[in-house]
Amino acid sequence: MNLKIVEIGYGKVPKIKVGAKMPLAFIGGPCAIESRDHTLKMASSIKKICDEVGISLIFKACYDKDCRSSPDSFQGVGLEAGLKILEEVRSQIGLPVTSDFSNPAWAKATGEVCDLVQIPAYLCRQTSILKVAAETKRVLHLKKGQFMSPWNMKNSVRKLESFGSENIILTDRGTFFGYNMLVNDMTGLPIMSKTGYPVCFDATHSIQMPTSMGNISGGQREFIPYLVRAAVACGVNLLFMEVHDDPKNAKSDSNTVLDIKYLKKILISAKEMHEKRLELEARFGDQSVK
Amino acid sequence: MSSENKNFFLVKNVMLMPGKFPSINSRSMLKEALDRMTILKIGICCVVDNGQLSGIITDGDLRRRLLEVQKPTSSLLVDDVILHAIKNPISITINETIDNAVRIMESNLIWDLPVIDEKNKLHGLLHLHPVVKKLLAI
Repeated sequence: MNLKIVEIGYGKVPKIKVGAKMPLAFIGGPCAIESRDHTLKMASSIKKICDEVGISLIFKACYDKDCRSSPDSFQGVGLEAGLKILEEVRSQIGLPVTSDFSNPAWAKATGEVCDLVQIPAYLCRQTSILKVAAETKRVLHLKKGQFMSPWNMKNSVRKLESFGSENIILTDRGTFFGYNMLVNDMTGLPIMSKTGYPVCFDATHSIQMPTSMGNISGGQREFIPYLVRAAVACGVNLLFMEVHDDPKNAKSDSNTVLDIKYLKKILISAKEMHEKRLELEARFGDQSVK
Repeated sequence: MSSENKNFFLVKNVMLMPGKFPSINSRSMLKEALDRMTILKIGICCVVDNGQLSGIITDGDLRRRLLEVQKPTSSLLVDDVILHAIKNPISITINETIDNAVRIMESNLIWDLPVIDEKNKLHGLLHLHPVVKKLLAI
């Protein structure tokens, strides 16, 4: 099946086409909206790097982190304040933006601001969430639950299609392997692309060790570059990474976010790997060896 | 029975009508095709898109695929049914005689024939059991 091309972005921000033989795109930003100033600073810094590398950016930061392990963890600035900040990122920095939502009541407002609406991995099969996500009419970013097989994501895709969605992106963010551990099965990427929709790899959550630190999650950040190269070589259409200028003091996912000082070289590597993959496919045709 | 009598029966008079045999569209899951075959107790499912016959899948095809496709059953079951279907199945046209239909079944060792017209539109399924019943009733 031919891979669909979806276009992210409305209004005055750049429209980004992803899928098929399109250039690799990047979804990046801090895990959570920590403050207005920090968010604008991060958006501006990441945009500068992406412009230098020549890769399209969808800025990501969430207004509510509903899946924290501890009640004491930072949960976010909230729906109203968060969306206002994301609106400023759109208007001042000129970037398409994305956030997830974990409460059906938040979908409409999220879709009114965000260019890309993210469905959290833990909620990827919740009908109530999928229904209201589809009703936003935005491109939907459906993350594969860590408990899901890549082929079973077809059920969630079908639900979204039944609610009228035609523009979907599927993301792998690792799969549970026993307790407190994720593994990255790269075969899941081509399997999910069989749905016909563009596929993304989330390189920072994939190295997470869920709740391995008692009341917060740990992670093995050192594997990010390896997994990025592997996933891009496998043919993903987008790359997702959470990025922070001070990971140790990040208010969310401090053990997995990528230090912004490494972003440029990872994006250059990913971009060149993507271009090489397209070149190889043009030379040798499709990947079938059966 | 004379061949004159046998020729009197046309495929279109004995075939199962849509709704009475399993059919499904190309992008449905293999599992859904199997469900329909089980419910209707017929070991063949016609794959149909916009009324056109795109293929068939039978109990035998599934048996062969189980040995050939080395992936988890849970993954196989969610595949688009068309991936495992026979794309150019042996079929019969609607105005053919039963006599010819049975000859085709016998020579190919099959007992189901999708019934199509000259534009490949699916009209029904010729299943051996009703044919035998009809012939025995003469």
